[in-house]
Amino acid sequence: MFTIENGPDGVVRLAGRLDASHVATAQSLFDRLQGAVTLDCRGLEYISSAGLGVLLKTQKQLMASAGKLRLVGVNRHLRDIFRYSGFDQIFEIEPLE
Amino acid sequence: MGAATPIRNLSARDLEPILAVASKLAAPFDLDTMLGEVVSAARHVLDADRASVWLHDAATDELVLKRSPDLESVRIPAGIGLAGACFRHRRLINVPDCHADERFDPTMDRQTGYRTRCMLSLPLIDHKDVLVGVLQVLNKHSGVFAEDDETLATVLAAQCAVALQRVRMMEALMEGELMRQELEIARSVQLGTLPDSMPAVPGYDVYGTFQPAGLTGGDTFDLQIFDQGLLVVLGDATGHGMGPALTVAQMQAMLRMAFSLGADLDTAFTQVNNLLADMLPADRFICAFIGLLDSDAHRIRFHSGGHGPILFFRAATGDCEVHRPTCFPVAAMPLPALRAAATLEFAPGDILVLISDGATEYRDPQGEEYGHARIHEVLRQHRGKTMAELAHLILESVRVFARGAPQEDDVTAVLIQREIARPPVASSFKRGLDSLDAISGFVGAMFASHGVDASLRPPVEFAVEELFTNMVKYGKGGAAEVRLILARIPGGVEATLIDDDSDPFDITKVPDANIDLPIERREPGGLGIHLVRRMVDSIEYEYREELRETRITFSKTVPSGPGGAPTTGGGHVHD
Repeated sequence: MFTIENGPDGVVRLAGRLDASHVATAQSLFDRLQGAVTLDCRGLEYISSAGLGVLLKTQKQLMASAGKLRLVGVNRHLRDIFRYSGFDQIFEIEPLE
Repeated sequence: MGAATPIRNLSARDLEPILAVASKLAAPFDLDTMLGEVVSAARHVLDADRASVWLHDAATDELVLKRSPDLESVRIPAGIGLAGACFRHRRLINVPDCHADERFDPTMDRQTGYRTRCMLSLPLIDHKDVLVGVLQVLNKHSGVFAEDDETLATVLAAQCAVALQRVRMMEALMEGELMRQELEIARSVQLGTLPDSMPAVPGYDVYGTFQPAGLTGGDTFDLQIFDQGLLVVLGDATGHGMGPALTVAQMQAMLRMAFSLGADLDTAFTQVNNLLADMLPADRFICAFIGLLDSDAHRIRFHSGGHGPILFFRAATGDCEVHRPTCFPVAAMPLPALRAAATLEFAPGDILVLISDGATEYRDPQGEEYGHARIHEVLRQHRGKTMAELAHLILESVRVFARGAPQEDDVTAVLIQREIARPPVASSFKRGLDSLDAISGFVGAMFASHGVDASLRPPVEFAVEELFTNMVKYGKGGAAEVRLILARIPGGVEATLIDDDSDPFDITKVPDANIDLPIERREPGGLGIHLVRRMVDSIEYEYREELRETRITFSKTVPSGPGGAPTTGGGHVHD
């Protein structure tokens, strides 16, 4: 189960598991994003390397038009993954308090 | 003392010997040599027949006259005689006719047949105003000591005082340095008795840890597999320093020797006890638990010479049995006869806890002892932990209890648990990404049923799913399912994925992704294996050509121990 929801505050909420079985859905939703986007990851339980690929592709697209992704509410396990993959240098990441 | 009166006619002939003395007094002599230099300088400079130096012994408040190495030192209370008067008043005393002075003690003259005529007594005060002793110069060759002699002697005495005090401090420092070196050697001897790594005993989780005190204590432990079973030792030799360190090293060497030669428990215990009793001084002994664990029969037989309490936690009831030593300490005296070894039977989950008195007798600032009830509390509250984790939890509970009170003795713990048998679980999954949810559920269920630490679930799930996804992506798309086996291992879990319709592809040989590239040069993909390698403790790849079978096994465990704790266990020595 993976959901992506546009909040009224312009924040995009991710929830569930962003694994290989959900990347196609996720990519089609991410492709609609524009400008500077904050992704609320508090509900994101899991991300696989395929999910990382979606985030990377989206970030590249947004940066081409002076936008970018910002990730907030990132749990410890996800932070490990971002660090091990070098994504902490590509994304602005705000940990879960 | 005040500045000396300047000498009116100080000749080069007078000055030269004083300067020569000054250079000699700066040399790194030992105390006896320095005393000799001071005496000869005084005689030379003051043209006197004899000189002597009385050093103050602050411990006894005596003045001590060192004579030639084969003669005993003369000691007088600091206050008696001319030397004493000079010392007490910190003032030069010039006596032209000693036998006419009531402060003069003629005993020495009578004993030696030497006649002291005139004498200068000078307080030896260094540049920091420390009164080191008294310099006495006897019998000027030409008449009595004049005012110029007093000035010369005062200058000389000040230099001598500095030199003597420096040498005394150096010697005290060196003594301390020697002691420190000895303690370091003792510590390394002691550390050398600890096993390099924890032995793997099927069905058991065994762990030992050693937390040294500032000064060397005499603790040791041993966990070593022999034909007779697992040797389990926890020992604590009396005293601090080199003695106990060597004692426990000797005991351990003898025990290992005895058991590798095939000795049984009773023989080894008796022989080692009797040999050590003969070898060691009467006041030395070792409180030691020495046991052999039969991991097939789930039974430990032991003798405990003076070591207690022996804690045995019963998993079924949550109770903690407290067993006493079985005999007096090892090496206290030869054993005429040995009682039968005590026996404990392990049921699944039971834990044997051996802990040195450095923990149980650790006192908090109010003087209360840690005891052993708190250990029981830790065992009860933390079911399902590994022995490494439990050992650290116990040490942490000692630390919290102590509230900063210093550790005065070594703290050593050995924990042995018979594991609760939890057979591995296995399931097969359809080759497709829509199996990922089912895999996640399967991993979660195994963690719950096998009591695996929940913090390991995200990395284990990540690794399993990445490896599975790879098998789906690069597989032939055949009908064969992928099999996943999950097994509980000490402190964690071991996962095996089996794909029996695959081409060889050694994932352990895949190069790491370059994660330092700028974003524009980074590509999606290639991160899966890179991340898996960082998530797990170890990973192995196996391919069987005849079966077309790929088998990938990885393990993930909880990092043992709070980082950097001064303990040793599992082969780690932090000191």
